[in-house]
Amino acid sequence: MKRPVFVLMLCLLIVLSYGLAIADDTVVFGIPLPLTGSKAKFGEIEKRSYQIAAEEINASGGIKGKKVVLEFEDSQGKPEISRAIAEKLIDVKKQPVLFGEYSSSCSKAIAAVAEERKVPYLVVTGAADNITQQNYRYVFRMNPTASYYTSGLRSFLREVVKPKTVAIIYESSDFGTKGAEGMVKEAKRLGMKVVLKEKYEAGAVDFKPILSKVKAKRPDLIYMVSYVMDAALLMRQIKELRIDAKLFAGGAAGFAIPEFIENAKDAAEYVVTATLWSPQVAYPGAKEFAEKYRSRYGKYPSYHGAEAYSALYVIKDVLERASAWTPEEIRKAMKETNLMTAFGPVKFEDREGYQNQNFMDTLVLQVINGKHETIWPLKYASKKYVFPIPRWRDRR
Amino acid sequence: MDPVKVEVFLQTLIAGILLGGLYALIGLGMTLIMGVMRIINLAHGELMMVAMYMAYWLFTLLHIDPYLAVFIVAPAMFFFGMAIQRFLINPVLRVEAILPENQVILTVGIGMVLSNLATIMFTSDYRSTPVEYASDAWYLSDLWRSSPIELSFSVPWVVSFLFAVVITALLWYFLTRTDTGKSIRATAQDRDAALLMGVNVERMKLLTFGLGASLVGAAGCLFIPLYYLYPALGGRFTLIAFVITILGGLGSTVGAIIGGVLLGVFESMTATYLGMGWAPVGRFIIFVAALVFLPGGIASVLRRRRLGG
Repeated sequence: MKRPVFVLMLCLLIVLSYGLAIADDTVVFGIPLPLTGSKAKFGEIEKRSYQIAAEEINASGGIKGKKVVLEFEDSQGKPEISRAIAEKLIDVKKQPVLFGEYSSSCSKAIAAVAEERKVPYLVVTGAADNITQQNYRYVFRMNPTASYYTSGLRSFLREVVKPKTVAIIYESSDFGTKGAEGMVKEAKRLGMKVVLKEKYEAGAVDFKPILSKVKAKRPDLIYMVSYVMDAALLMRQIKELRIDAKLFAGGAAGFAIPEFIENAKDAAEYVVTATLWSPQVAYPGAKEFAEKYRSRYGKYPSYHGAEAYSALYVIKDVLERASAWTPEEIRKAMKETNLMTAFGPVKFEDREGYQNQNFMDTLVLQVINGKHETIWPLKYASKKYVFPIPRWRDRR
Repeated sequence: MDPVKVEVFLQTLIAGILLGGLYALIGLGMTLIMGVMRIINLAHGELMMVAMYMAYWLFTLLHIDPYLAVFIVAPAMFFFGMAIQRFLINPVLRVEAILPENQVILTVGIGMVLSNLATIMFTSDYRSTPVEYASDAWYLSDLWRSSPIELSFSVPWVVSFLFAVVITALLWYFLTRTDTGKSIRATAQDRDAALLMGVNVERMKLLTFGLGASLVGAAGCLFIPLYYLYPALGGRFTLIAFVITILGGLGSTVGAIIGGVLLGVFESMTATYLGMGWAPVGRFIIFVAALVFLPGGIASVLRRRRLGG
């Protein structure tokens, strides 16, 4: 339904940008994104965010006086199409730097082309670890990799909570199992003992049998990997049984969205969860971006939006520092990046088997007074964390 | 005995009985329909879903507590069930078909239509009625200060359970003490004999389907404060009702009550002592075991011991 309209807009954009490109006071970026297909929802969020960033940059004078023009290229979420787009951008459009794409598989395809043609490529959202583990010189990544997704929660546990035992409850799906395995490894690194690891069928009605078993083990930490409705039921029943762990932590998105609090109500209080970004985090520009996005599109952007929005600012920063707009000079400038963005600090490092990878502490949210607040890392916290948390019996 | 182990066991047992009471109510409706109509109503869970949407909208738009909604939703579902029987199932019963059980297939179709209609009308979003008492509970240690163990009784679970018990008792009274109830039982025992005795069998069928729908409708209202709601939720509960109906002995009300509680306790015990991932497996083991070792269900055991069925 929306496709013809979109194609029309795209054509218009291309025609328009060609018109402007002739004027030579513009800089044109082709951005591959999945704008149709199953990942189109995320492609759309990113596209809108790039546009907001471009408008802001142009309003404040562009990049070195040149107006930014964005051309979105639909990859349909297919790696082979992303690859073709990347080749076109490098060979035909002679674009000296690439950025964009949503999924890991597409980012990987572009990374291979970029390395081969020696053109720097900034990965914005693809999270698979191996993209930046292949000794690529020209591939940079600003988002944390999948295994660093919970790095913030990890340091919060290590420095503040110091749990000795953990009970893991997870959904019996691929997603739940992966999350639980990750926590088992984490527990080993932190010296925690896993006293219980139990899966459940998504959509279960009654968790009390399993929870009474958890209660008998008296774990310091209860870690749960669940989608939102199961998450709410779990916390409600934990409250009913008055299970007093030192901390309740949610491993995945189910705990980080407002519906969790709506459904679990006061049982959600003090639950912590890892996330990459949140609209109220204290990074400069984060709140402004989130509000601008919401006033235009009705709701807050996901972290993908913040990544895309910030990516354009990283590109701007790099191009302003590069001595010439050639791939080699841009690569040099990229390597020296040290920028604070709405998504968080960006700095490309070679360590722990990664190359040109941005290592940032991911965020930890805690439900405080019925609202998600950023509590970790401390310097970006919107509120001081609540720990130790009160026992159920003493609440209210 | 280790008090911690006792606590885990008792808490599991409580959870199982509370869950079982609600399961019984879901199973009762299906078993009633099974007894009188001789068909398995495979749209049973979807009827519950419809009732839950009614309760949800009553709560969201008019702020009517789900427990009060029982008194609105159950009668509404009664008429909804009668309409399904009158306009959809009866015409199919009259038609000669190649498939012997085409009415059962019809109920599958009704179920699909209901859940897809719900998806179109209400989207597939999860919904719930966040009532204030959702996670309140009574504690043993509050009543008995020096109790060595701590047990909790969730407020909504206990209230739902009590409602289920009262509804079951009313149904019991209706079936054994009223003329209409006796006519329904007569129809279930022997349709032809009932017809000869002057029972209006067609009317009884209509009443039974309505009654079955309103029972599961009440169950839906009792479930929504504990759980949540989405259009595809029906299948899960149809399956549970089906297992209970088989376990209880097709058509037996007492069997369904015992079967429901047994299934609830069994599920809770598997969750605690085997792992929660095993609960669905346990459900099927009960199902198969009942078919193989107890073809007549619990009802046949009761009959053998002259306890009535």
